Amino acid sequence: MGSEAMVSEWASEPCIMGIDEAGRGPVLGPMVYGCLYCPRSYQKTLSSLSFADSKTLKEEKREELFETLKANDSIGWAVDVIDPKELSAKMLKKSKINLNEISHDSAMGLVDRVLKMGVLLTEVYIDTVGDPGKYEMKLSKKFPSIKFVVAKKADSLYPVVSGASIVAKVTRDRAIREWVLDETADNIDRNFGSGYPGDPTTKSWLEHHKHSIFGFPTLVRFSWGTCSSYFKDGAEVLWESDLDEEGGSNSNNNGKRQLKLRNVGFTTSKRRSEEIESSGKGRSRFFQARKLEHLTNF
Amino acid sequence: MEKGGAARIDLKREAREDLSGHVHLLPCCIKHDGPTQVSHYFKPKPTGVVGEEDGLPLQQSHFRGRLLQGTTLPLPHGYSGFVLGKKTPRNKSDENSNSWETNATFQDITYWNHDYAPSQNDDFIRAFHWLTVANALHSPVTPEELESSSFTL
Repeated sequence: MGSEAMVSEWASEPCIMGIDEAGRGPVLGPMVYGCLYCPRSYQKTLSSLSFADSKTLKEEKREELFETLKANDSIGWAVDVIDPKELSAKMLKKSKINLNEISHDSAMGLVDRVLKMGVLLTEVYIDTVGDPGKYEMKLSKKFPSIKFVVAKKADSLYPVVSGASIVAKVTRDRAIREWVLDETADNIDRNFGSGYPGDPTTKSWLEHHKHSIFGFPTLVRFSWGTCSSYFKDGAEVLWESDLDEEGGSNSNNNGKRQLKLRNVGFTTSKRRSEEIESSGKGRSRFFQARKLEHLTNF
Repeated sequence: MEKGGAARIDLKREAREDLSGHVHLLPCCIKHDGPTQVSHYFKPKPTGVVGEEDGLPLQQSHFRGRLLQGTTLPLPHGYSGFVLGKKTPRNKSDENSNSWETNATFQDITYWNHDYAPSQNDDFIRAFHWLTVANALHSPVTPEELESSSFTL
């Protein structure tokens, strides 16, 4: 989503861009990266548009400012909405991708997208995620033609970043408001609260929507530490991919794929990975390789 | 028949619920035994992508935050899947008997991997090779076949 439709004539002038995020901390809903760009010659006027850090503004004021900047021909914008399912999935992969990496990729994706639209970006201002020095090096390496300014609280220091924070925050709020739940169970209400783990409305929503088997609706970021406290009374789930990791240190383990709970579903859950691994023992390699064992007790 | 560990299994297919399309094999063990709202929470979607080389139509779904990739395999011709349940004992002497009856049947199974796309190299698909091998091992050999495959010792 963004102002892609109109690639303005000023795009070939040197342009500045700000990038900011909304919804990094919340335990539910998407994380949104937003950017706002304009010709460098417009910078002064931009400062007069009273974009402040979106967190200090009331929701109605943010909505109003978003409409103003959308209507402004000298400003372009774009967003990257990262689904909570994607955040959970990436953070729970066997080789985990952490939130900083996801954030960096999203920001770099926006830079890439705006460049590909033909906008001549010369300076990009961005709120830091992780160490500012390292982040700047990473960005400069990927986009050598751009000067990056990576700073803490960039959203309150640079109007172009404040503008980006409005784009991001308004997009996240709307996404939450219009969220279409994957789950079709009855009685899922939409009073999610802000999504911050400390918000009483969010806490109560999580308490009322936990499910002993499925955990939560997929709106929730399962990879957040907050979630585990709600899972205590739920059914325990043991993952093959976690057992693989556990077994990785075993000296007799010569391949990740050996430790499978499968055996066409008849294996009992209590078996340790070593026992599962040895189940094909004494049989021909044909059976061992396919995890087929004799079933003597039913 | 009911001696040392033997089980009696009643494989009736008539008038049993057909669960084809609803049997999932997940790459995890859920420590729960009983009904739950699967169709409300577990929502497989075809990805429109077909596995490289082997042409398996892929699906994706999420469980407990993890991305699962799966594919539906029809059971081989001549085979059926059965969901068995222990027979409720009719009298005292039946109490210790190991008797099972069919609660439902199925003709396909969807299996799911965490972190990698299903392929013909997966153990689960490879396990079905046994059926072909078993068939070859157990089919009678005709004199003609014997002759054509004769070899010198």
